[in-house]
Amino acid sequence: MAKSQATPVERAARLLDLVPFISTHQGISIKDLATEFDLSDSELLSDLNTLWMCGLPGYTPLELIDLEFESGYVSIRNAEILQRVRLLTKQELVIIVLGLDILRESLKQSRSDLISSVDNLIFKIRNIVGDIATAAPIVDSSHRAVISQAINSRRDLELLYHSTIRDAVTTRTVTPIDIAVDFGFEVLNAYCHSAGGFRTFRLDNMKSVTLISASSVIPQESVATNFQWQLLISSRLRTTLERFREVPNDLIAEKDASVQVQSFSRDWLLRTALSTLGSAEVMAPQDARSSLAFSCQQTLELYEQI
Amino acid sequence: MSRKTERLVNLTIALLATKRYLTKSEIFRTVDGYEGSDESKERMFERDKDDLRNLGIEIEVGTFDPLFEDESGYRIKPENYQFQLGEVTADEIALLSVAAQAWRGASLGSSALSALNKLHAIGIESDTELLPDLAPSIVSEDMNLPLAISAITSQNILSFEYLTEEMLAEVRVIEPYVVAARFGHWYLLGNDLDRKAQRIFRLDRIVGAVKSQGKSASYQIPIGIDVDAAFASQQPLRSATLLLRDGRALNLRTRITQQAETGHPDGWQKVAIDFRDDDRFLEEILWYGSDVVLIEPLDLRQQIIERLKAGVKRYG
Repeated sequence: MAKSQATPVERAARLLDLVPFISTHQGISIKDLATEFDLSDSELLSDLNTLWMCGLPGYTPLELIDLEFESGYVSIRNAEILQRVRLLTKQELVIIVLGLDILRESLKQSRSDLISSVDNLIFKIRNIVGDIATAAPIVDSSHRAVISQAINSRRDLELLYHSTIRDAVTTRTVTPIDIAVDFGFEVLNAYCHSAGGFRTFRLDNMKSVTLISASSVIPQESVATNFQWQLLISSRLRTTLERFREVPNDLIAEKDASVQVQSFSRDWLLRTALSTLGSAEVMAPQDARSSLAFSCQQTLELYEQI
Repeated sequence: MSRKTERLVNLTIALLATKRYLTKSEIFRTVDGYEGSDESKERMFERDKDDLRNLGIEIEVGTFDPLFEDESGYRIKPENYQFQLGEVTADEIALLSVAAQAWRGASLGSSALSALNKLHAIGIESDTELLPDLAPSIVSEDMNLPLAISAITSQNILSFEYLTEEMLAEVRVIEPYVVAARFGHWYLLGNDLDRKAQRIFRLDRIVGAVKSQGKSASYQIPIGIDVDAAFASQQPLRSATLLLRDGRALNLRTRITQQAETGHPDGWQKVAIDFRDDDRFLEEILWYGSDVVLIEPLDLRQQIIERLKAGVKRYG
């Protein structure tokens, strides 16, 4: 589990947090306590055994923390000194305030009571840590909630989706598979019944997400075809690589960089190549070059007319 | 291994329980776990103090008799140890918990967990049913994010290698001020010590791990930094006139500042849009191919025409 590599200091912090938690949850089961602290049962028992040896100087039974956990339920006595909940570290306050920023954006204006509670908390925390962290989310959290609900209840979704590749907003019926992260963006992997295939939808491009009552069996995942193009980049190396979503493993420092790029969408490659016309040349395949020639010619003619 | 854990907990208990300052010799005599020569006890204690400070536990140093040049003593003030957000309601606990849960699976997941443990330890049953169905989530697996945040909270100078537009790794040394999530990326704003000016860095353009240098609290973070203003001031805003084909260029349409009633061919709209960076803007327009025509500024229009001509020649 996540905590197996905890350092002695991290363990000490956890022990200090276990005491107030058990104090307010007397008689909690080992299992529930382990879940709360993301530990295995044996890791938790080893923590409790250590805690048992701690107490006030003197370290006689009178001073030691008194724990009872033999029967599978934990209670604590003689721990008044540590009973107070520990203060939140600055790091913890920062992550909470970033979480609150995101939460605030997703609260509908109709919940002004909650928005003012959030603002109040943000104000309190910023008073302690300063204005050192802020977040403006690009995904509407309520979309994510509906998607999670659909995945858990195995139901289909209706998406109003803005495809930047097709430059259009369309309605899609999909069977959701999972939420993943693709190049830093949250995406929904799903079977799209409108397109008849597996598709990836960016959460920040969803206009609306609706749970529908249908649930479908999706076909076996087919091998997705991937288009691979050969590129020669002559300027704006970093931006161009980012646009083609290439993560450079080795730093390329030459003047002209030859790279292979790929995508399941030929249209996306085409648009990206058109967009980076000034910095990169597609060397292969030939059909890609012909399509680009056509697009350039077509657009150029427009400029000659208007 | 667990001796150290035990000793830290025992030291915390002893320093929290005491009403007066405890001297080092009292600590070494009474707190379980300090063993060995005086020198090694001394070293142990110094390390333990640092470790506790990193956990946010502040140890106060003082003398217990101000009239004499006494040996200094140590204690932890309960008010510096306990939860500092004061009285919180069940609603607030619920909101704070949902905010921390947003980090599930992200690079700060372990801090989120310990924050949740503390919030739950307060023992107020929070009613998450009260909240609308929300699942805020923060996407970041970038290990430089926690490193940047801890450098900011402890005011440590950071150095790192940053990718230039030419993909060269350039060493930057900054006093970090703010982390910000904008436009789907994490940014770090700080005072660049070599360039003697504020700069913004995109975290995923940093090569390898950031390193902190020097001592904590080595600079001051200016009050009231406005990240959005910092982004905006990088380049001045300019206005462009474009023709958009009916129903196309949806992303550009969200940025229309003005729409002309006349002077456009059938099937097109004439609109004004603001932009900052020439190169980015040109690339954005070219993405839409024959669905967008740039009218003004003329110099940019000319550049698009040149790029298209070069494209026809190169690919034709």
